[in-house]
Amino acid sequence: MSNFEFIRATDIHSACSALKNPGYMAVAGGSDLIVKIRNGMYPDLKGLVDLSGLEQLNQIRTDENKVIIGSGCTMNQIVNDRLLQDYFPVLTKAAATVGALQIRNSATIGGNVANASPAGDTIPALYVLEARVVVTGVNGSRKIPIEEFFISPGKSKLEPGEIIEGFRLLLNKTRGEFLKLGERRAHAISKINLAVSTWNDGRDHYRIAMGSVAPTVLRCKEAEEYLENCEKISPEAIARAAEIASNTARPISDLRSTKAYRKQMAGVLLSRALNKLIQSA
Amino acid sequence: MQNNLIKISFKLNGKQVESEVLAGMTVLELLRRNFRLTAAKEGCGKGECGACTIMLNDQPINSCLKLAATLKNDDEIISVEGFNEDKLMNNIQQAFVEEGAVQCGFCIPGMTITSYHLLQNNPNPDEHAIKQALSGNICRCTGYRKIEAAVKKAADRRHE
Ligand SMILES: Cc1cc2nc3c(=O)[nH]c(=O)nc-3n(C[C@H](O)[C@H](O)[C@H](O)COP(=O)(O)OP(=O)(O)OC[C@H]3O[C@@H](n4cnc5c(N)ncnc54)[C@H](O)[C@@H]3O)c2cc1C
Ligand code: FES
Ligand code: FES
Repeated sequence: MSNFEFIRATDIHSACSALKNPGYMAVAGGSDLIVKIRNGMYPDLKGLVDLSGLEQLNQIRTDENKVIIGSGCTMNQIVNDRLLQDYFPVLTKAAATVGALQIRNSATIGGNVANASPAGDTIPALYVLEARVVVTGVNGSRKIPIEEFFISPGKSKLEPGEIIEGFRLLLNKTRGEFLKLGERRAHAISKINLAVSTWNDGRDHYRIAMGSVAPTVLRCKEAEEYLENCEKISPEAIARAAEIASNTARPISDLRSTKAYRKQMAGVLLSRALNKLIQSA
Repeated sequence: MQNNLIKISFKLNGKQVESEVLAGMTVLELLRRNFRLTAAKEGCGKGECGACTIMLNDQPINSCLKLAATLKNDDEIISVEGFNEDKLMNNIQQAFVEEGAVQCGFCIPGMTITSYHLLQNNPNPDEHAIKQALSGNICRCTGYRKIEAAVKKAADRRHE
């Protein structure tokens, strides 16, 4: 699998111009790409552009009221970051469930999102934090709300010659939970996953997103509104929200799971997540 | 055909080394072929078994999922061979032998590297922490109980 060129990117601009060439792909951690190349999924591959040497992509920094997470940050870097733990626990919890330790040391958040898998674990967390994807090409950057970034499984709005530079989040303190069901704990591609975040600015806000229950990750706005209008998050309210989530899900049956199971589990995961949030309040 | 060789330089088991690699070569292949370091094994070649685990900058990674060409000057790789003189590693290896945690041995280089990282960061791991830490290392022989016991024993013995 060696019949292609390898380019070590030294700056974003030259990385993007190399990626404009047909058959050129970015590589970050490689945890996903290398296996796919081995399996012959990219017969037309002409070159890899290695982004891992671009220091500015490997950092988590704040800018006024925003946090910018570089696309090259690994899952473990995210898990161990104090600011993210404090402000966006839903994201650190999601990153902690990706693969085993060895995978989390390689897998990057940019690669997870660029893959555009409906099962990518950081994606629902970025949905509920209303992240913006900073997409950069030779002509500069554009910011795409994460909910508008995905088109279909494996397909996003990234154009040839563009990379994900990072993710911008509003520096807003949230509480959150991330839960997933998978086959085997350490290596699970999620059968279904769910992220919830909540914050209070005088009143309670809720954000809910689910993965693997539709071609792209799904926000569950109806359940969010229902919860925001509840006086108190009682056991009845949780049951009702779970029912709404279950009805929102429009999953398929595939190798990993059936449709009916996924629909039911969407509700179960939401009620578990809400109970956890209440207990930790 | 562009069989371009890429020059790399990095630190391997304490020494700065150089090599020339093809774009698609993994760090696992680099160690085994170019450096004849055969402790790290290819079990699955897709990130699932941990037999190829090595340390990259003090963090365990699957060397089957890292391209050799991505190695940089200041990257430091340590394979089990690089731990030959290391007290903690010797203690772990000894405990594995004593507890009967080694059968065919295929998974052991990876198991011991991951255990090493665990004990470096958590000198007193409980059963849950051990299981969690080793969840990316598969053993098809021992059934894990003896491996967990060995890690526990290595931890206890450090405090004697
Ligand atoms: C054993 C195993 C277990 C796994 N478990 C999980 C899991 O539990 N949850 C989960 O979500 N995923 C899991 N994965 C999938 C994978 O590890 C993740 O999706 C990871 O985050 C990918 O990141 P990477 O840096 O390794 O990507 P790479 O393999 O380097 O790249 C993946 C894709 O993204 C593109 N890309 C990478 N970075 C950029 C960028 N900055 N801009 C534009 N395009 C880019 C590449 O061109 C490529 O198409 C697992 C993989 C393995 C092998
Ligand atoms: S050979 Fe690398 S994880 Fe199995
Ligand atoms: S001892 Fe044989 S695989 Fe672990």
